[in-house]
Amino acid sequence: MLGFRLSAQKPSEAHRVTDVVVSRFEHVFEVDPALMREHVHQQEIPNWDFERIVASRWEHLAWMHDHFADCAISAEELLAEIEAES
Amino acid sequence: MAVAILDSVIDELTAICGPDHVFTGRSATFNRARVPAPFPVHRWAEYIPSAVVLPSSTEQVSEVVKLANRHRIPVVPRAGGTGLTDGAVPLRGGILVDVKLMNQIHELDHENRTVTVGTGINMLKLNEELRRHGYIYPDDPASYPCSLVGGRIGTSGWSLIGARYGHTRDLVISFELVLPTGEVIRAGDGGGPKVRKSSSGYQLKHLFMGHQGTLGIATEATLELFPRPEAEFSMFWAYEDYRDAWRATGELARSGVATLAGVVLFDEHKIRYLRRDDEAYIPQPESVRAVVACAAYGNEDEVRVGAKRLLRIAKASGGRYLGDEISQGDWASRHDRYATPQHGRARDGQVALMSWHCEDASIPYPELPAVSEKWHAIAASLAERFDMFDDWGMFAYTNGAFKPWGDYLTEIDIGVWEMKWDEDAWAAWVQAKRDIAQVAIDHGGSISACHGSCREGEVDLVPLELGAGFEVMKTIKRSLDPNNIMNPGKYLLDQAYEEG
Repeated sequence: MLGFRLSAQKPSEAHRVTDVVVSRFEHVFEVDPALMREHVHQQEIPNWDFERIVASRWEHLAWMHDHFADCAISAEELLAEIEAES
Repeated sequence: MAVAILDSVIDELTAICGPDHVFTGRSATFNRARVPAPFPVHRWAEYIPSAVVLPSSTEQVSEVVKLANRHRIPVVPRAGGTGLTDGAVPLRGGILVDVKLMNQIHELDHENRTVTVGTGINMLKLNEELRRHGYIYPDDPASYPCSLVGGRIGTSGWSLIGARYGHTRDLVISFELVLPTGEVIRAGDGGGPKVRKSSSGYQLKHLFMGHQGTLGIATEATLELFPRPEAEFSMFWAYEDYRDAWRATGELARSGVATLAGVVLFDEHKIRYLRRDDEAYIPQPESVRAVVACAAYGNEDEVRVGAKRLLRIAKASGGRYLGDEISQGDWASRHDRYATPQHGRARDGQVALMSWHCEDASIPYPELPAVSEKWHAIAASLAERFDMFDDWGMFAYTNGAFKPWGDYLTEIDIGVWEMKWDEDAWAAWVQAKRDIAQVAIDHGGSISACHGSCREGEVDLVPLELGAGFEVMKTIKRSLDPNNIMNPGKYLLDQAYEEG
């Protein structure tokens, strides 16, 4: 486990993805903070916690696959087979 | 009007269930007043049960119900409390019977492929145990991690993978039921508790499923077991046009692939909503306006062959495959929709805390586009008048067990900013529900595919949907529940006692 890192204690700079969405990490999106001023106020989440939440979500989805079946078959692989067969 | 309970009744309940299993405090009663469906929070106090009991056996439930009859006190059964209609909501106070302590696995029968459980057990927890033996009980609602077998029986639920494995009515073989008089029966197809098909007598299993707690309390159930799937396959395809996606949905559903577990159609409003708030859809180009998802389960060799056929159909329909990451990730999240973050947008675009509500209906396939248009118009009218509703789009799921080509579980998801409820907004909401139900009936459908239709608004149209069948419902209710103590006020069934 990593110890204290100063850079992990604050959120990274966000860049705009769409008119209502920003991103701080690749493939991870959040609501534009400008839309969280009236009724709901955005919390400042440090990077380490952000990464923990994202990793936890992926863990949950992997757990769910494993819960329902022994393996998940890739459609990308099957599509490649279909292409090769045609 | 809530019925008050005397201290002497509490003493009797304590004698039946034990001192640790009878509650009258605010925490126990207030938390069992509502379900996740929209609720008039400004009138919360009207729905508080007078007492909560957690019995641990069929005998205790029977004694509680007999006591309620002696004192003419309402009884409301409750399992997970995850329902999207009002089955578990007390309308007149009374005794709330929470079945959560009856959560044991009583018997695992390898020869007959059955498991017998208390109805307070949750499917996810049951499957964790069954996995050790190579089995699965494939009843898979959106509330899979938190709903209980008893609630599934009470609502006659729908399962995400029901096209392959069947829905609750197909998966529950028989169950023990405490009738509104306290008498105990076994409701099944007939014969022994593990008989799947019988022609002996009336089919009581179907009568005592989906009654929303108005005809008794299920306490023990014998369930179907399947071999645990070796393989899962899921695929999500994007379309530029809703009608193309709708046609692809129909072609996939009619494919005849035996391992096909379900097909899901996302409409344009749903994609607009997801593009705003869902990581899988935010990066999608504007050309993505509708999505079709489907999944298959079973033995790996069979799933592979079936999956190829499904992929060829989707490819020929003009769709674009969205990739394994979205397909597998989004499919996994479908087993647990209650964990979705609950926020929507006010009219000015600002984020507001909103509860998720899903209005469901059974709609014949050819009618889906027309129903979609009309339902969105109703939602838009609500949002124009009250800045507390947010249209989150529609899904249509294959609805038939084993032959998924007919009607679809059609749902419109509406975010509701519940802290803004007042009488005007509530009345408009109830009218909208009535209008949504009317559209379903007008198009040859049913008001509900899986939630039940006993909530304020939609319930007014149940007599219209059932016709003379509603008179039969009233006759059955009056006959089985002579004192109207079992979940009174639901399904307009008070009428059964007004006309006698």
